[in-house]
Amino acid sequence: MKRASLLILVLSILLAGTMSVSAEEKVRGVTDSEILIGQWGPQTGPAALWGAVARGTGVFFELINSEGGIHGRKIKYFMRDDAYQPAKTKAIGKEFVEDIGVFSIVGGVGTSSGMAVRDYLMQNNVPWVGPPTGSTHWIDPFQKYLFSIYPLYWQEAFLLTQYAAEKMDKKKIAFFYQNDDYGKQGLDGARKYMDEKGLKLVAEVPVEVADTDLKTHALKLKESGAEAVIMWVLPKHAAIILGASKAAGFQPQWMASSTLSDSEMMFGVTKGLWKDVVFANFMDVDSPLIKKYLDATDKFAPQEKYRGIFYLAGFLFAEPLVEGLKRAGKDLNPDSFVKAMESIKNWNNWLGHDCTFTQNDHQGMKSVYLAKCGENGKTIKISDWLTYTGK
Amino acid sequence: MNLFWDLIIGGLSIGACYALVALSMVIIYKTSEVPNFAQGEMAMISTFVAFELVSGFSVGFWTTVAITLAFAFCLGCLLELAFVRPAKDPSVLGLIVITLGAEMILYGIAGWKWGAQQHPFVVPFSEYDGFSLGGVTITEINLWTFVTSLVMMLLLFLFFRFTKVGVAMKAVQQNAFAARAMGIPTRRILTFTWGLSSVTGAVAGMLIAPIATLDPNMMLDPMLKGFAAAVLGGMTSLPGAAIGGYSLGLIENFFGGYVSLEFKSVVAFAVIVLILCVKPSGLFVKHFEKKV
Amino acid sequence: MDMKRDYYEDIQLFKTKTVFAGTLVLLAFLGALPLLVGDYALYLINLIAIHSIVAVGLNILVGYTGQISLGHAGFFAIGAYSCVLLMVKAGFPFLLALPVAGFISALFGFVVGLPSLRLEGPYLAIATLGFGMATTQIISHAGFTGGHMGLAAPPISIGTLVIQTGKGQYAVIMSIAVIMTIAAVNLLKTRVGRAFVAIRDSEIAAEAMGINLSWYKTLAFAVSAFYTGIAGALMAFALQHVSAGSFNLILSITFLAMIIVGGLGSVMGSILGAALLTYLQLKLQIIQEAPVIGPFLTEISVRYFTREGLPNIQSIVVGAIMIAIIIFEPRGINGIYLRMKRYWTMWPF
Repeated sequence: MKRASLLILVLSILLAGTMSVSAEEKVRGVTDSEILIGQWGPQTGPAALWGAVARGTGVFFELINSEGGIHGRKIKYFMRDDAYQPAKTKAIGKEFVEDIGVFSIVGGVGTSSGMAVRDYLMQNNVPWVGPPTGSTHWIDPFQKYLFSIYPLYWQEAFLLTQYAAEKMDKKKIAFFYQNDDYGKQGLDGARKYMDEKGLKLVAEVPVEVADTDLKTHALKLKESGAEAVIMWVLPKHAAIILGASKAAGFQPQWMASSTLSDSEMMFGVTKGLWKDVVFANFMDVDSPLIKKYLDATDKFAPQEKYRGIFYLAGFLFAEPLVEGLKRAGKDLNPDSFVKAMESIKNWNNWLGHDCTFTQNDHQGMKSVYLAKCGENGKTIKISDWLTYTGK
Repeated sequence: MNLFWDLIIGGLSIGACYALVALSMVIIYKTSEVPNFAQGEMAMISTFVAFELVSGFSVGFWTTVAITLAFAFCLGCLLELAFVRPAKDPSVLGLIVITLGAEMILYGIAGWKWGAQQHPFVVPFSEYDGFSLGGVTITEINLWTFVTSLVMMLLLFLFFRFTKVGVAMKAVQQNAFAARAMGIPTRRILTFTWGLSSVTGAVAGMLIAPIATLDPNMMLDPMLKGFAAAVLGGMTSLPGAAIGGYSLGLIENFFGGYVSLEFKSVVAFAVIVLILCVKPSGLFVKHFEKKV
Repeated sequence: MDMKRDYYEDIQLFKTKTVFAGTLVLLAFLGALPLLVGDYALYLINLIAIHSIVAVGLNILVGYTGQISLGHAGFFAIGAYSCVLLMVKAGFPFLLALPVAGFISALFGFVVGLPSLRLEGPYLAIATLGFGMATTQIISHAGFTGGHMGLAAPPISIGTLVIQTGKGQYAVIMSIAVIMTIAAVNLLKTRVGRAFVAIRDSEIAAEAMGINLSWYKTLAFAVSAFYTGIAGALMAFALQHVSAGSFNLILSITFLAMIIVGGLGSVMGSILGAALLTYLQLKLQIIQEAPVIGPFLTEISVRYFTREGLPNIQSIVVGAIMIAIIIFEPRGINGIYLRMKRYWTMWPF
């Protein structure tokens, strides 16, 4: 008897703690004074570097709120930590939809994390703007409520390979990639270009997220005799492979995905080796908005130490969302929001470039530009905005 | 052919790192028969302390090393006093759980204090320049790591064999009760053991950080590999742990270079399972049967 | 007190009439739960139920047979992937795929149990650790498992009934959890259960009494793996997604923590430990929203640590709980309960 009643008691206490009163609203996440928006991100764990994105979005919303909000409504922002684990992301997704009741989701780092909740969110008509990865899973199959902003990885890789072969005259190109969906999509892009030209990559070297010893990988790249190596990995591995390669006496032209576009940070971490690395970028580093956002950070989150590209990305992925909310007007619901988003064409009042959504195409940004790492990590543009014009 | 020699150099240099981690693990195992899962995080925190000293307070490198080693020693002793000693006669499982708990606490503290960015760790020996031997580059840091691991192994071996404290530590492992009856202060010896192990771990951490970049997750992988190395060589044998470390580094590198880069990390765990099935006490340790 | 008068009383499933009645009330309560709480709370309870199954299974191995396993995430993964693959690639219906997945996991458990015959204590822990990690690595690379991205799990379908809602899932998961818990409690009263306990208390004496060590030890592993595999499969359905990344070392450690905190050798302890740790895991990350401690912690973070690192407090708290339990109450929550019970039954002496 005691055993059972104790169990009942414990369960009740737990339940009482988890139950929350959810307001009865006609539209989930929207009241006369507030719009509820959620984001998850890896605040702990091996991918915690990307946690900066979610924090950036938080400051962006505070900035918007300080300017008066959107049609009289302030944005209430919820940030959760999923430690890059799909199981936790799913729980967070459920919390957002069923417990807190958000209107939309913004950002949300991680392809596999996002995939765990994508279908769930779509089934519940939750608009989702700007998953910060260039995976094709956000637009294929087409999702009514999902708006992707990050240029597709494979297109980016294609453009990088093209630049290496045509503008930098490198015939032997190798690809160093993270052995998961992110890296493999980049690999597909590079391969596509090589196939079209009837060539092959001289080496395709995978790396695991947990690896820290990349000597063998460097040796494999060296053995292939590559003149240019395109990296599609985490900042940590990019830094290590540059060091390991130099130690092995191998110094090709390094090229990198936009995920490694924080050249100042990479310069610092690699102790200067990052100089002259060519990388893709989709954030306009000369935009005056950057100063505005950094000033906002000083005001709302002065203790934020890291204010590099990943942090600013939190702003970038939320800007179209706010634009969509503005265009949707006072009568805000998922469908009016979708319609508003789809009215955005060649929009340039943000950190990105040419944001365009149509009824059939929810890939907002399709261009990147190439840049080089200069002195002390300065980003030097070496190409104009490039758009993939193929199939 | 160059690839072959490059792989050997690579294998030995990473193997030296594994050897250092394995040594620190064996030190504790030799005295208290518990595998210390908090090893990696202890080393990682010590390395972060070194980083703070160098970058935050601009202390010279060798002074930093001295201070860090002292800190590591205190950290090890503190962990033993705070977590292990209060446990009243814990079972093996209990001790394992304590070290796991300590590992989580240290990891959490490091993540909390230093965030998630990569930090560069600067050492006076270069990671890329070195000298060439027939087309194969041996970098300065590889040399330092290898030499340090050999020196530490030798020092520890001599320590255990010839000093009073060392022999006392061995006695405590073999029979704690009898050791106490002989007048050995067992509890102080245990505390000292943890401190010593932490110091070795800190050395490993400072040598791994320049190559692997410093962040809270730095030691997760090397710790597991160090485990594998210690299992391979024998958890109670210091030379065994070191040789296990070099062997594991070589095996991993050759596997990655010639067989499959994708499954390179699985090798370490496969080695663990295999050795435990075939010769549980490791390659260099005699296996004792328990008598009733 | 609890004096038993004959053998049959000892092996009774329900000790007294009140225990039986209490169990019925509990079951009724569990059955009515979906009508009382919201979907999100139900999801939490699903997770707790799944973790309880694992905890009970692990307890059979660790608490009752005295072995150690740091690799149970491996069995969890095997169960999850087997079930999904069987349903997706081989077209098995759910009711068949689930037990088969459990048996596949049990098979692996048996295989892992074989080395355990020669290993003990720390060596066994390391061996299981190696197994757990190797499994995750292999799964994430094998092509047919969908690699790092994992696979999407289909919804549970029993016959022609497709279960899409949280309530439906709750019905399935909770019923399975209840059945397996009762089975575990029952198991421990049979010959097999007594053999396990005998092995834990003294292997040599057990063998001297005629208990076949090899058979029972590997059986313990197999049973434990079976439980964990079933739980893994259910988890795949609760999340509607499996990916290798979630089955890591931390998960194995968390499972172990659940039974240590709950109390080794006690089924109820395992359930409580699972409930507590699952709850903590989900709630600790939003600790800055907690009433008093939240702002206090944020204050310290800004001053001495980094603000963004605050979620790391999850690790610190769980680690601290694990150590605290070992130091202060090695028998876990169950130990606390037993102490309280003894205090009250012996009062006022």
